[in-house]
Amino acid sequence: MTEKWGICHIYASYNNILVTLTDLTGAETLGKCTGGMVVKAAKDEASPFAAMKAGESIAEKAAEKGITNIHIRVRAPGGNGPNSPGPGAQGVIRSLSRAGLRIGRIEDVTPVPHDGTKPKGGKRGRRV
Amino acid sequence: MVYTLKVPLDRVGVIIGTKGGTLRLLKERSGAQIEVDSETGEVILHEEGAKDPYLAYRMRDVLRALGRGFSPEHSLLLLKDDMYYEEFDIKDFSGKSRKRGEQVRSRLIGSDGRTRKLVEELTECLVSIKGNTVGIIGDLEGVKVASKAIELLLSGSEHSTVYSFMERKQRDLRTARSGF
Repeated sequence: MTEKWGICHIYASYNNILVTLTDLTGAETLGKCTGGMVVKAAKDEASPFAAMKAGESIAEKAAEKGITNIHIRVRAPGGNGPNSPGPGAQGVIRSLSRAGLRIGRIEDVTPVPHDGTKPKGGKRGRRV
Repeated sequence: MVYTLKVPLDRVGVIIGTKGGTLRLLKERSGAQIEVDSETGEVILHEEGAKDPYLAYRMRDVLRALGRGFSPEHSLLLLKDDMYYEEFDIKDFSGKSRKRGEQVRSRLIGSDGRTRKLVEELTECLVSIKGNTVGIIGDLEGVKVASKAIELLLSGSEHSTVYSFMERKQRDLRTARSGF
């Protein structure tokens, strides 16, 4: 038992970032951290800085539990919303690898509709 | 993980480069395997073999930027830390009408590309407009301001309003950049 694996789920929207550390089955949560937990201003919740902080805290929790290697699952809001992760995703991954965790695979688990609901905006596009 | 992406056929040549030179460079820089189907424009990125999974992950944005009209040199800037890529669909703002789409795009570019150039200069970002998409490459603060400016233009703000908005943001940009 030299290598202990875990999965790090990252949900990066434009408003916040949620990081959850689980075991390999994904059923057992070992730790979580969000953008809102590390910064106080709402506008900074999704910033790379908050993401770095969240990543550091997750790395700490991983070390506590003895996890040395992680797979990463990145997720954007998806559905009919934005399909690309917000700026925080990069920050988390970077700080995890800086913290000395070995990164296995990076997977994109954004839910993609097989043609789902109508996106907002309407026929005449987005008007502000 | 395998990541597949479709790029326009006219961009396939750019990704491959003269005698495959660009493709080789892309593989070298990311350490990942990349396959390009020049018939369908399909690009397949194999992230498995990469030494640094993070770099291979960033490669996705690089390939997307290449497909959206950026040059290989500019796209590869995305492999650096603190560089971000943002993409807009003009159709989200203009609706389905083809004519309206063209009008909105022209407003974004401006005569002789003046508007686009100004956005690039004032935010120190790179902006590429191709077909119905707008791509932005830059640092976090720059991309934020540039995407706001482009959003304003797309949703019908006057040019002068957007220019003064960007000028107002100049100071914020400077302080944010010197902060590190």
